[in-house]
Amino acid sequence: MRRAQPWLGTLVDVSIVVPDADADADADADADADAGLKAIDAAFAAVALVQRLMSFHEAGSDVSAINRLQPGQSVAVDAHTLRVLRCAQSLEQASNGIFNMACGERLVAWGQLPAPAGAMPATGVAAASARPLVRNAIAIDAQQRVTRVQPAWIDLGGIAKGYAVDLAVDALQAAGMRAGCVNAGGDMRVFGEVDFAVLIRDPQTPTLAGHRLQLRDQALATSAGYFSGRLHEGLQTSALLDARSGQAVPVGRSASVLAPSCMLADALTKVVIATSDAAHPLLARFGATALLI
Amino acid sequence: MNRFAPHAIILMGTVVAGMAAPAFATQYLTVEQAQKVLFPEASSFRDATLQLTATQMRDVEKLSGLPARSVGWRIFAAYRDAELLGHVVVDDVIGKVELISYAVALSPQAVVRQVEILAYRESHGFEIRNPAWRKQFTGKTAQAGLTVGDGIANISGATLSCTHVTDGVRRIAAIAQVALKAPAAAA
Repeated sequence: MRRAQPWLGTLVDVSIVVPDADADADADADADADAGLKAIDAAFAAVALVQRLMSFHEAGSDVSAINRLQPGQSVAVDAHTLRVLRCAQSLEQASNGIFNMACGERLVAWGQLPAPAGAMPATGVAAASARPLVRNAIAIDAQQRVTRVQPAWIDLGGIAKGYAVDLAVDALQAAGMRAGCVNAGGDMRVFGEVDFAVLIRDPQTPTLAGHRLQLRDQALATSAGYFSGRLHEGLQTSALLDARSGQAVPVGRSASVLAPSCMLADALTKVVIATSDAAHPLLARFGATALLI
Repeated sequence: MNRFAPHAIILMGTVVAGMAAPAFATQYLTVEQAQKVLFPEASSFRDATLQLTATQMRDVEKLSGLPARSVGWRIFAAYRDAELLGHVVVDDVIGKVELISYAVALSPQAVVRQVEILAYRESHGFEIRNPAWRKQFTGKTAQAGLTVGDGIANISGATLSCTHVTDGVRRIAAIAQVALKAPAAAA
């Protein structure tokens, strides 16, 4: 059973593996189908929750609430948002700033994200600037409140999609599903005792398959600039940037990461694509492996 | 013998389509399945195909900020006995690489309730270059004694934007506002 809905700016595809229907047990098959539909509903609800909490441009999201703060002010956020922010913080530390969630302003300047309504102006860095992104844009205190430390817009676009996939998988498992796959526009996780065949686009010719993988009980995310890459005021930009230089990563290459969770896989693709290092030491630390095409 | 005929036709259709274009395509829901997913409480669905007038098309464009695109719209009204539960609008959009069919459920007050993708395919045909791979994907529906819908391949790559679907939903919300919305109950 397989369904898809538009969320997180992409298509979210949820498939569950149902036991082979016994021809003599139509009633059981109907009950299974009903349980499957309900499980998929719960998975989409989990994804919708992440969109509501962590969208850069929805005014009601936690991310927007943080971006509206004056430096020094703080705000309480949802436990899910806190979990993603903590992961983003620890990856920023561990990668020495290669992964950095303070990329909102640069992506707005490049036309990759819409300017958030009512957000406090950030640093005013020009689109063409090659300045590195500011570090440690936010702090989380003992009361679990988020303080805006730097006048920079945070964007969780590089990690929240992976977290949404993880939450959706949790929802399917909580609903009793034994095996399945959640794929949010290329960031996916499979669970259960079933192999899932996955094709990775060829970054040179995205309408061709460049690689094939077999997944079982793991997550796979891919980052590449071939769909978002464009010239902005004569400058090559994309939705992917190297936080150390503040410049877009070259289009035409793709980084895929296999990891135990989709949040980690999603975030680690940014480290791999920025460094062109498929054996970056950070990968092993998180139980991940990478593939550069 | 007769009762097997429909299956044979379906199988042949699959094979022919597969040979014509070794493209990546996923069929999620038929229109009938989508109706039931979108309005599980409905007892019947009636054809409510709509032809927009010139004035309605202008109003749709004003409300949505998008071209109204077509005069004719494929719509079903969902009923529980005589009570109107809402509408299902079926539409297709074409993006840079993708061709998407989708269905939007709206309340009688023209509020979007849910969006379901019916089918996704790569408009230029996502090709699997190596014939050995392709063989693994044809006709394979059972894995480890379990059935994965039609489904084998998931594609991983740069995030595909669904702007066309979001715009499409916005346009359909405007159409519902202009042409489907139930008149406000008399005070």
